[in-house]
Amino acid sequence: MSFFEIQNLSKQYAGRPVFQDLELNIGSGEFITLLGPSGCGKSTLLRCMAGLSRPDQGSLFMAGEEITHLPPQKRGIGMVFQSYALFPNMTVQQNIAFGLRMQGLSLSKQHQAVQEMVELVELTGKELAMPDELSGGQKQRVALARALVVRPRLLLLDEPLSALDARIRRHLREQIRAIQQRLGLTTVFVTHDQEEALTLSDRIVLMHEGKIVQAGSAESLYTRPASRFAAQFIGQFNLLTATEALTLLGRTVNGHLAIRPESITLDPVTPSKLKGRVLDHQLLGNVIRYRIDCRGVILKVDALNRDAANLLPAGHEIGLSVAEPELCEVA
Amino acid sequence: MAADTSVHPTRAPLRGRRWRAIHYHQLVVASLMALLLLPIAATLVYSLSNRWGATILPDGFSLGWYLQLWSEPRFLAAFARSLLVCAGTLLLAIVIVVPAAFVVFYYYPKLDRWMNLLILLPFAMPPVVSSVGLLSLYADGTLPIIGTPWVLLGCYFTIILPFLYRALANRLQSLDLHSLMEAAQLLGASAPRAFLCVVLPALRKSLFAALFLSFSFLMGEFVFANLLVGTRFETLQIYLYNMRSTSGHYTSAVVMSYFLITLILTWIATRFNR
Repeated sequence: MSFFEIQNLSKQYAGRPVFQDLELNIGSGEFITLLGPSGCGKSTLLRCMAGLSRPDQGSLFMAGEEITHLPPQKRGIGMVFQSYALFPNMTVQQNIAFGLRMQGLSLSKQHQAVQEMVELVELTGKELAMPDELSGGQKQRVALARALVVRPRLLLLDEPLSALDARIRRHLREQIRAIQQRLGLTTVFVTHDQEEALTLSDRIVLMHEGKIVQAGSAESLYTRPASRFAAQFIGQFNLLTATEALTLLGRTVNGHLAIRPESITLDPVTPSKLKGRVLDHQLLGNVIRYRIDCRGVILKVDALNRDAANLLPAGHEIGLSVAEPELCEVA
Repeated sequence: MAADTSVHPTRAPLRGRRWRAIHYHQLVVASLMALLLLPIAATLVYSLSNRWGATILPDGFSLGWYLQLWSEPRFLAAFARSLLVCAGTLLLAIVIVVPAAFVVFYYYPKLDRWMNLLILLPFAMPPVVSSVGLLSLYADGTLPIIGTPWVLLGCYFTIILPFLYRALANRLQSLDLHSLMEAAQLLGASAPRAFLCVVLPALRKSLFAALFLSFSFLMGEFVFANLLVGTRFETLQIYLYNMRSTSGHYTSAVVMSYFLITLILTWIATRFNR
């Protein structure tokens, strides 16, 4: 039996459906990411799970118990908000202790639990700081500690890293993942950033226009997108139409053919190979992304940035090849 | 004479312009402070002087007027009445306006527009005109409260409503109110408890600032007090008005006493609010 079950869940705002008949099962200790573009319904789904929004239809079960109509304070769910939602008139330790105070724990037990959390999120020395004295990353760690200290059964994170710079974001998501694994906490993470989803999750649930379009491991979503939307949203797939697939590869497809940029190999030109002409390149750090014109079809090709001297100039003729298993047909 | 090449040719004029700019601003501020403080200073000196006729300085200084004032039962009673009405009004305002502002911003944000119109109404009506209306409504009939402190309580409440609501509204707008309430509820607090433990402390500074302003304003209110209660409930301002034909030194001592008390109370409350 799953730890958390969403059955036939529907929600609409002002007559417009946000999602309809959603079904999702989450295992105990699993780290699930709800991934999708803005407006796809992932945050609304999270709020329904937390009890902050009431679904119009459907049921929610946690550990076998129905919680659909339970108020948020009785669900045993912790949540970290995008805006942190730290209580502005309380210090870091008062913020973290708030949930324990509501539970009526003694001051000594509150203090002990708070100290443990402060060490876990690496905020030692900041206990007496006010929220406006903290950096964005520190605020997010306080919000995380506050949600964890009450030992929730389920942890929800609503785009907690979106307001932070790239370096802090990378560090914090590793920290979140490490803490989640250490505590074995069932976690649902909402993001529109595919890199976060791919690096953090046991399973990714890809949403589009209120529907779950694909759910699976990061590996399966990345290498085997099930739809054109998934191929366009995850990674930088080259999407060939049926005509283009036939022209370039001699392959007949029903929908589209998705090819990952890193799957295309660049070789010297030979008669047997597909030939292309380099249009331009982009330096993405450790990867160089070439745009190559191949019989009128513009392909994105990624190559490791090994040697600046061997950059292919614009106009250069190059051979291309791609292994058959790397080709993915999508609807 | 050789030119002084060690000094930049434009530095002397720049220094002069800068000096004039700084001292001009200081002069403006000092003049403004003098304009505001001079009447208070003059009143203070007058209240401490035995006699001050057509001379630059008074004939002598003493605390006699203050001693006379603070041993006068009528003054003490008037002062107590003013404090009572002010405190009662502020308490009534806290009990009504604070929850109302929260409910508007949390549950019915579209009502804020109508609240902004409502709080403008007291400014639209001159005190004398609204006093006439209040007199006809409450002089007799089912609620004859003219001449009693109750009519002042209600009337003063409408005076301070705009200050209090606006201060709270500004603060509530700057808070991410819904996220704070949701975070508190997810941590086990009910909505009322979340309001008391999270939102109210965050409103404290704005609330107190509005209360201090309102207190000072109400202590100096005369028109409504004179027209609605008059000598039947003699407040400090009515007392001051009634004493106008006695010694100017004495009335100056009344003014300085009320000014000083208001200052001390505000200072204590500010310290308490840190």
